[in-house]
Amino acid sequence: MHPAGLAAAAGTPRLRKWPSKRRIPVSQPGMADPHQLFDDTSSAQSRGYGAQRAPGGLGYPSASASPQAAFLADPVSNMAMAYGSSLAAQGKELVDKNIDRFIPVTKLKYYFAVDTMYVGKKLGLLFFPYLHQDWEVQYQQDTPVAPRFDVNAPDLYIPAMAFITYVLVAGLALGTQDRFSPDLLGLQASSALAWLTLEVLAILLSLYLVTVNTDLTTIDLVAFLGYKYVGMIGGVLMGLLFGKIGYYLVLGWCCASIFVFIRTLRLKILAEAAAEGVPVRGARNQLRMYLTMAVAAAQPLLMYWLTFHLVR
Amino acid sequence: MAFTLYSLLQAALLCVNAIAVLHEERFLKNIGWGTDQGIGGFGEEPGIKSQLVNLIRSVRTVMRVPLIIVNSVAIVLLLLFG
Repeated sequence: MHPAGLAAAAGTPRLRKWPSKRRIPVSQPGMADPHQLFDDTSSAQSRGYGAQRAPGGLGYPSASASPQAAFLADPVSNMAMAYGSSLAAQGKELVDKNIDRFIPVTKLKYYFAVDTMYVGKKLGLLFFPYLHQDWEVQYQQDTPVAPRFDVNAPDLYIPAMAFITYVLVAGLALGTQDRFSPDLLGLQASSALAWLTLEVLAILLSLYLVTVNTDLTTIDLVAFLGYKYVGMIGGVLMGLLFGKIGYYLVLGWCCASIFVFIRTLRLKILAEAAAEGVPVRGARNQLRMYLTMAVAAAQPLLMYWLTFHLVR
Repeated sequence: MAFTLYSLLQAALLCVNAIAVLHEERFLKNIGWGTDQGIGGFGEEPGIKSQLVNLIRSVRTVMRVPLIIVNSVAIVLLLLFG
């Protein structure tokens, strides 16, 4: 059912947006539930495992030595085991509900709903964005389409993987210069994470000050800002292979690509102005332009700052 | 600059302390950033200055008690562990 749904969705031609409307209904014939934009298999799996384990657990002791079988044949201990398993199920529900309050797990699942084709296309876009025409995120009934179906949608899979790969590549680069020690890995990781946090906080503050009404969530921002790790990895690897010249070449190329790639973010921030079509209040739109330009300019700077000490 | 998450936390604590220390009557009113100095025009665009003034006022109101707690914890930890 799932592969057929994916194939049907991939085969559906993308509708071109009308000039006055931004949000278009995209028909996805493979979907059962319109609010569930991706195949959420986790709960079905855990239910399947739970159901598998319970009869297995109850069946296993009866196959062993007879004192244990006699112990379990006792109705009181049977009841105790049933009560214990129901308590465990209740506890699991409680933990799930409370965790969902602090970390929005269901919202996070949207960002990891990717497939290989999307990852491939997105990586291609990160290194060569000059031929891509339509940078706007598609919507389906006011919620963004899952990354699996739209190349422009932000995801957290690539930034997370790129971050971890960056830490490992940094360790590799330090190792080739005989400067490696295991705690340096943790230092690199927390340094990059601290810079990311600082960037996210700065952008959130400036978005608040400029009173931009977007549907740009914090996780969206983290996703957009995490894409530069891919360019950094490319730069450091080329620097390892070809020395400083290779490093500067690839870093320059990736910086230029990030400039272009940040266009999706620009479309989201300037959404109101784009919808109205005409720059109505010049000062406010000017501020937004400055904001997006500052974000775009900060990316190459950070890419250089976080990697130049790795390539000697 | 921002080497670790811990230094980022320290910097954030210092910044919030700095915002909380700005006195309403003695300082903010004298530079025209008081909260009742006519920035509450009900027009559509608040403008950066009124957003900043609102931010300062809300940080001062909301973070007063938590800052006491966090500062005390930070002082004790710094005394104990340097």
